[in-house]
Amino acid sequence: MNYMPGTASLIEDIDKKHLVLLRDGRTLIGFLRSIDQFANLVLHQTVERIHVGKKYGDIPRGIFVVRGENVVLLGEIDLEKESDTPLQQVSIEEILEEQRVEQQTRLEAEKLKVQALKDREKEVQTEEVRGSQS
Amino acid sequence: MSGKLGDRKNAIFTRSHNEAILLIGKSLEDCPLDEDEDAFQGLGEEDEEIDQFNDDTFGSGAVDDDWQEAHERLAELEEKLPAAVNEQTGNGERDEMDLLGDHEENLAERLSKMVIENELEDPAIMTAVQTRPVLQPQPGSLNSSIWDGSEVLRRIRGPLLAQEMPAVSVLEYALPQRTPQAPEDDRDLSERALPRRSTSPVIGSPPVRAVPIGTPPKQMAVPSFNQQILCPKPVHVRPPMPPRYPAPYGERMSPNQLCSVPNSSLLGHPFPPSVPPVLSPLQRAQLLGGAQLQPGRMSPSQFARVPGFVGSPLAAAMNPKLLQGRVGQMLPPAPGFRAFFSAPPPATPPPPQQHPPGPGPHLQNLRSQAPMFRPDTTHLHPQHRRLLHQRQQQNRNQHRNLNGAGDRGSHRSSHHDHLRKDPYANLMLQREKDWVSKIQMMQLQSTDPYLDDFYYQNYFEKLEKLSAAEEVQGDGPKKERTKLITPQVAKLEHTYKPVQFEGSLGKLTVSSVNNPRKMIDAVVTSRSEDDETKEKQVRDKRRKTLVIIEKTYSLLLDVEDYERRYLLSLEEERPALMEERKHKICSMYDNLRGKLPGQERPSDDHFVQIMCIRKGKRMVARILPFLSTEQAADILMTTARSLPFLIKKDAQDEVLPCLLSPFSLLVYHLPSVTVTSLLQQLMNLPQSAAAPAPSNPHLTAVLQNKFGLSLLLVVLSRGEDLQSSDPAAESTQNNQWTEVMFTATQELLRIPQAALAKPLSIPTNLVSLFSRYVDRQKLNLLETKLQLVQGIR
Repeated sequence: MNYMPGTASLIEDIDKKHLVLLRDGRTLIGFLRSIDQFANLVLHQTVERIHVGKKYGDIPRGIFVVRGENVVLLGEIDLEKESDTPLQQVSIEEILEEQRVEQQTRLEAEKLKVQALKDREKEVQTEEVRGSQS
Repeated sequence: MSGKLGDRKNAIFTRSHNEAILLIGKSLEDCPLDEDEDAFQGLGEEDEEIDQFNDDTFGSGAVDDDWQEAHERLAELEEKLPAAVNEQTGNGERDEMDLLGDHEENLAERLSKMVIENELEDPAIMTAVQTRPVLQPQPGSLNSSIWDGSEVLRRIRGPLLAQEMPAVSVLEYALPQRTPQAPEDDRDLSERALPRRSTSPVIGSPPVRAVPIGTPPKQMAVPSFNQQILCPKPVHVRPPMPPRYPAPYGERMSPNQLCSVPNSSLLGHPFPPSVPPVLSPLQRAQLLGGAQLQPGRMSPSQFARVPGFVGSPLAAAMNPKLLQGRVGQMLPPAPGFRAFFSAPPPATPPPPQQHPPGPGPHLQNLRSQAPMFRPDTTHLHPQHRRLLHQRQQQNRNQHRNLNGAGDRGSHRSSHHDHLRKDPYANLMLQREKDWVSKIQMMQLQSTDPYLDDFYYQNYFEKLEKLSAAEEVQGDGPKKERTKLITPQVAKLEHTYKPVQFEGSLGKLTVSSVNNPRKMIDAVVTSRSEDDETKEKQVRDKRRKTLVIIEKTYSLLLDVEDYERRYLLSLEEERPALMEERKHKICSMYDNLRGKLPGQERPSDDHFVQIMCIRKGKRMVARILPFLSTEQAADILMTTARSLPFLIKKDAQDEVLPCLLSPFSLLVYHLPSVTVTSLLQQLMNLPQSAAAPAPSNPHLTAVLQNKFGLSLLLVVLSRGEDLQSSDPAAESTQNNQWTEVMFTATQELLRIPQAALAKPLSIPTNLVSLFSRYVDRQKLNLLETKLQLVQGIR
């Protein structure tokens, strides 16, 4: 039954498995049990899925109540197609480790970038000084 | 009456508190323990004969809030059956109710059983608890007061419930007649439910309560398990049965209710260690359905059944009306909501409130569905149970047929399967969904949908026109599109009255949204021209042009809207509307050309600036149909004059072709003189054919541009039309035209073909046009060049 044709409403999504992306970057997968007019969500049997590269790990979280404003997007998961993914599931420890490694490499790259920029800055400054002097 | 009451009271007491009596055919709300006295007060009035086939038991129907009535019924029954039957208040409490014909016989049986059982119970507790648990969302209950925001919803709830709760638990049987529900509802509702909409509850917060929050509801919804708690010794020990399914879809108590229920096992003892915590969802199901087993408080005899429960899959616990509920959801929304749908609502399945024709067929039906998961209805009388299941089955079949008939693919069915096995489904009640839906609909309310929801309205208008057109052609069956008709609220005139404070000296001004106060004194300082750099000036000029475009665009939108307003307006208002429209069109033109009163002919610069901006071009294309011929011709000439420049500026946007269509339309209305001069402008031909320039960059640019070439061809075509249609035209005009044509053809011949753009459309009469002015050979050349002959393409 179409509650409100032509509109977007979560009512028909209730009791279905959803993937929810939050503003802080977390990905939650759970059954949408209840909503309200602010799109606050109640997720049941929620699992937080961490993706690193081609691997992912699930952390079971139980029941989530998500404030509507923190949701970036959410979509229904097709239960039949759910398992049909090229991604590889790994254990929680492993994925957390991978995540940490990824974080680290990213930080290091950042550092290098910042350093390089600083060096360039210094070059430009010295050039300017030289330029103004001559 | 009071004497009667007294007698009855005693009678009940002597019957040793036959809760079962009360239960039979009564809807007593469960009163908390401290409301003992109330239980007896209800026995005052006499009630009518119980309708065994009423919808309250087998159909839906809201619970009647009047426990007094329920009491009466029980009392009445009690009178009929002097032999007190003590039915076990454990599992089999209401089981033995025979609702078909042999009602009184079995009742007698049962009552006698009840007597036996309740001997040992504490009368006070038992009686107090004997009131029927009411789990359905009642008007007066907590649940409804939170979720039922309005009368509409209340009314909706009735039919909704009717549709969605075909299979009814025994609880419903106990409920009194519900046919006079509507008036009763209103009566009861008015006491504690939301007042009418005029008080405009704050959306998103609980509705205004007539009764302060925390007031215990008049009828307390307590699951029937209470009784079982306190009657640990069941008379009938049944073999372990699959867990009783919880109350029908709509009856399920919301979590709110559950927590507020007294003696709720949620608040009570935890499970004994032997019972694994995995039972909790099961427990919930039990609570909701008034399931019989309360592991925490069961007597040893009842405990025997727990392992049975533990073993049973959790999935079975909650299904109840899972399918029904799910199916119920698929039913069209309640009549109240139907108003929102323009398409006729799909044929509702026959309301599930059919009265069973007789026990016979039911038995057969039920037997056939035995393998399906069965809710625990052990407490019900076998026949009642049969009826319930039969009803369920009926509805399931109906809905399944409905579904099957529809476009439900395999996905849907698998989805249903999944739902069926999902013990947590329908945690969100139908009424709660309706509540949210109602709020969303309220947000769509508007006084002027064309203003607020323009694109939606227009889109659907277009669709409708399309389908109407298709229909006219006699296409297949009309496709029904359900369109959401947003509620339209009449515009109310509000005059703002500033807030006045009492007891203040003088008038205090409060800054509000209706009465804003200036917070910052912002002074506008205009910059002097000298300080600015060239870039800034250019930027400013561009900004000014943009502002002008915006203003003109607003005028344009208004003008385009006049047609609709005209239709909606009254006769007297129409001339005024027309005047307004004319005025606006003039303003638009002035904006376009640049209002400079002093000059005779305003400079092209203003217009060209507008035309340099993409939005400006589109806007001009839209404005042209509204302008008078002279005004439009003026615009066209200006465009032609500055065409190379515009072409250069349009290189990135490529929006000029949008102008072709209105220009063509215009050209076909132009007189010969104008056409001639237009052609001259386009080709930038010198006025006299004396000294043709070696190269004509203007023309080249025009010809190399799609729009330019197309426009040129259109103009030529028009000229040809004029010539051919009016051979006796004035000679001067004719001569002029001929001259221009000669030069034009010369120019055209000169231009290499590769440089030519591909025109948007080629008018058909160009061949004849050229044939007048050039000889055969050149004609052929021209043909090939301009690809005038169809085959060449």
